[in-house]
Amino acid sequence: MGTASVVIPVRDGARYLGEVLAALAREGPEEVLVIDSGSRDGSVDIARAAGVELLEIAPEAFGHGRTRNLGVERTSGELVLFLTQDATPRPGWLAAHREALALEPRVGATFGPHLPRPGTSPMIARELTEFFAPFAPDGRPTVQRGLDDGSWHPGFLSNVDAGYRREALAAIGGFRDIPYAEDQAAARDLFAAGWAKAYHPAAAVLHAHDYGWAGFMRRYFDEYRGLRETVGHVERIGVRSTARHVRSEVTGDRRWLSEQGATGPQRAAWTARSAAHHAGRRVASALGSRAAALPGPVQAALSLEGRGQAPPAPADVPPPTAPPRSRHRAPTRRRELFDDVARLARSGPAPLLEPRSGTAQDAPLHVAVVIPPFRIGSGGHNSIFQLCLGLERFGHSVSIWLADPTGRQKEEWPGVLRATIREHFAPLEAPVYSGFDDWFGADVAVATGWETVHPVLLLEDCRARAYLVHDHEPEFHATSAESRWAEETYRFGLFHIAASPWLRTLLEERYGAVATTFRFGVDHETYRPQPVERRWDTVLFYSRHVTPRRAVPLGLLALAALHVRRPDVRIVLFGDHAPPQTSFPFEHVGVAGQAELAALYGEATVGLVLSMTNYSLVPQEMMACGLPCVDLAGFSAETVFGPNGPVELAAFDPDAIAGAVERLLDDRALWEARSEAGQRFVAEATWDRAAREVEAGLREALGRRERVPTAP
Amino acid sequence: MESTEPDVESREAELRRLRARVARLEAELAEQAAHTNRVVAAAEERTYWLDRWHLDLNALMRRRGAAELRAGVRAVRAVYRRGKRLRRRLAG
Repeated sequence: MGTASVVIPVRDGARYLGEVLAALAREGPEEVLVIDSGSRDGSVDIARAAGVELLEIAPEAFGHGRTRNLGVERTSGELVLFLTQDATPRPGWLAAHREALALEPRVGATFGPHLPRPGTSPMIARELTEFFAPFAPDGRPTVQRGLDDGSWHPGFLSNVDAGYRREALAAIGGFRDIPYAEDQAAARDLFAAGWAKAYHPAAAVLHAHDYGWAGFMRRYFDEYRGLRETVGHVERIGVRSTARHVRSEVTGDRRWLSEQGATGPQRAAWTARSAAHHAGRRVASALGSRAAALPGPVQAALSLEGRGQAPPAPADVPPPTAPPRSRHRAPTRRRELFDDVARLARSGPAPLLEPRSGTAQDAPLHVAVVIPPFRIGSGGHNSIFQLCLGLERFGHSVSIWLADPTGRQKEEWPGVLRATIREHFAPLEAPVYSGFDDWFGADVAVATGWETVHPVLLLEDCRARAYLVHDHEPEFHATSAESRWAEETYRFGLFHIAASPWLRTLLEERYGAVATTFRFGVDHETYRPQPVERRWDTVLFYSRHVTPRRAVPLGLLALAALHVRRPDVRIVLFGDHAPPQTSFPFEHVGVAGQAELAALYGEATVGLVLSMTNYSLVPQEMMACGLPCVDLAGFSAETVFGPNGPVELAAFDPDAIAGAVERLLDDRALWEARSEAGQRFVAEATWDRAAREVEAGLREALGRRERVPTAP
Repeated sequence: MESTEPDVESREAELRRLRARVARLEAELAEQAAHTNRVVAAAEERTYWLDRWHLDLNALMRRRGAAELRAGVRAVRAVYRRGKRLRRRLAG
């Protein structure tokens, strides 16, 4: 065999890295490459001091398969060996790998045993010893040729200590970019491509983790979560089987201790720890393989890696020579996500009841408001709940119905949902229902988002239906089934209550919809001139890049241009948890509470809020605090605020936006005029007024039912 | 003619009576819906912590032995309270 390259992915591996590199220096491979992904413990310095090749990558660029493929690319040896940062090669390690590879020309991978470090607990030491011994029953190297060749754990291959023939890795297209077990996947791919793998007992490394009990349990949690995510393994658990397992393992540990010459008191001391270890392992493994059922924060707490959610599904590209793989999947949901779309298409809307007398005029109504899932801070939901609060104040009975087919809020039961709404949005009296199992009819059922329209049309025992439209939602989606369905909701003949004249016109002209309007209110208790000193150098940008319609890339370009022109201007970004990467310095506020935002609006000089569909609540709230703002001309803001109203409008162009911001920074008279116009504009914008407009819309929906009894 | 006029009148009266009754019943129904909303909202207020911890008492009590356990707890509580009352009485 020719040259050998060793690749070691490292992150905070200072504890053993020096020892590993020293052992490698003794073994003498032609090339050693350390790939560091953001160590903060001096690992990089250790690698530099050892004189090995060092490649630094960003932590987020790391992937078990991806990074090792990078190592293969950056090295040239015919034999590429992988070690982990805490696997120290034993003398003769490299020669043993070479020998194993030379056993047969079709050996594509080699591996060796993981030996316990001195001081490793007997549970782990025994496990390692007993796991690796059967690979070489007579102490000589062995070859595994397939998953069903009858050998001991034929699918096992571990990149803690493994070597690959470069040609074989190329044949399978390298390691798969999967979150875990890229080595075991490589073993399967090699077999499928006609390669074999070889075990050599002398290709050994010292490698055993020495966590405390809790650390081990968290590691097992991660391990079995990874197994579930990669191969679908679910660890079974039961009281009796666990008791049997623990008893057998403890007996094994005690026997092993005896064989190692442990004294009676030593064996006794280890017995309790062994029982705790094996029992805990069963529980942690079972939990890990069912992690998807646990809330993200609980997963993060149980995980040694601190990972809360499953990573995004990786591209699972099969090796070029292997046939495509398929795996049977059991059903994972009771019904399809958009089942209501199909049900509605098949059966049509549920028939409506006759309206009660007086409900189109002044009788109190039962208004059932159907909402999509929400998060704290959602502007659309804030508007819905503020309107509900207004309706309650006018004497109507309101109920809230959460339509959540994706199960995003299934862990929040109704009492919790209601408390969240009351604490973070509005102190509603209304009950909150999750789903429609307890549906008991309503005077008006109100859809509040496109996904809620289909369930609303299927609800029985309603006297009228209305559609509270906050924005033109087809534009929230790329061309897709969802965008098409969203468009269709405006053609079902519902009575629309649109959140701006712009939106109403769009609904009427594009979809032939019947609509009225309401105007967003402002919480004047919170958003009003603030008792803080106004700064004259601060531009505040609503940089909510999770909401593409807020045109954040355009705003950032404008701010970059502004920074070039006026480097002294202080730029503050808010509205999103993650700060964007920019070419200019800025301060990041993230997602702030209402009181903090009001203070921010009171302090800043110019607000920059861009809306490419319907306008946002944010400009009105800024205006209420006396902060003039810049928005885009030609969209809804222009129709709502007027071409020369309280908002400085700018064309869809970074320089034009930067120019508009500059005008407000430079021209104090213009600033004063816009600020005063803004405060006048929002003085009448109350949630009570908005709720009155919505109430009128609901009565109109009922009135139309009286006049046109067949309307949906 | 003479024989139909009273019929028409009585039918119209009957219709008015029925309409009034429908309106009354509808008003009752509306009040019932509003009452339901109030009761459910109050219940959600009370069951916040049960909901927070995903405890469904109905499901819990449907489990085998749950009713017996509750009966047992009540029996023990009754004995305890009687004992306490007796002790108080004896203590004067």
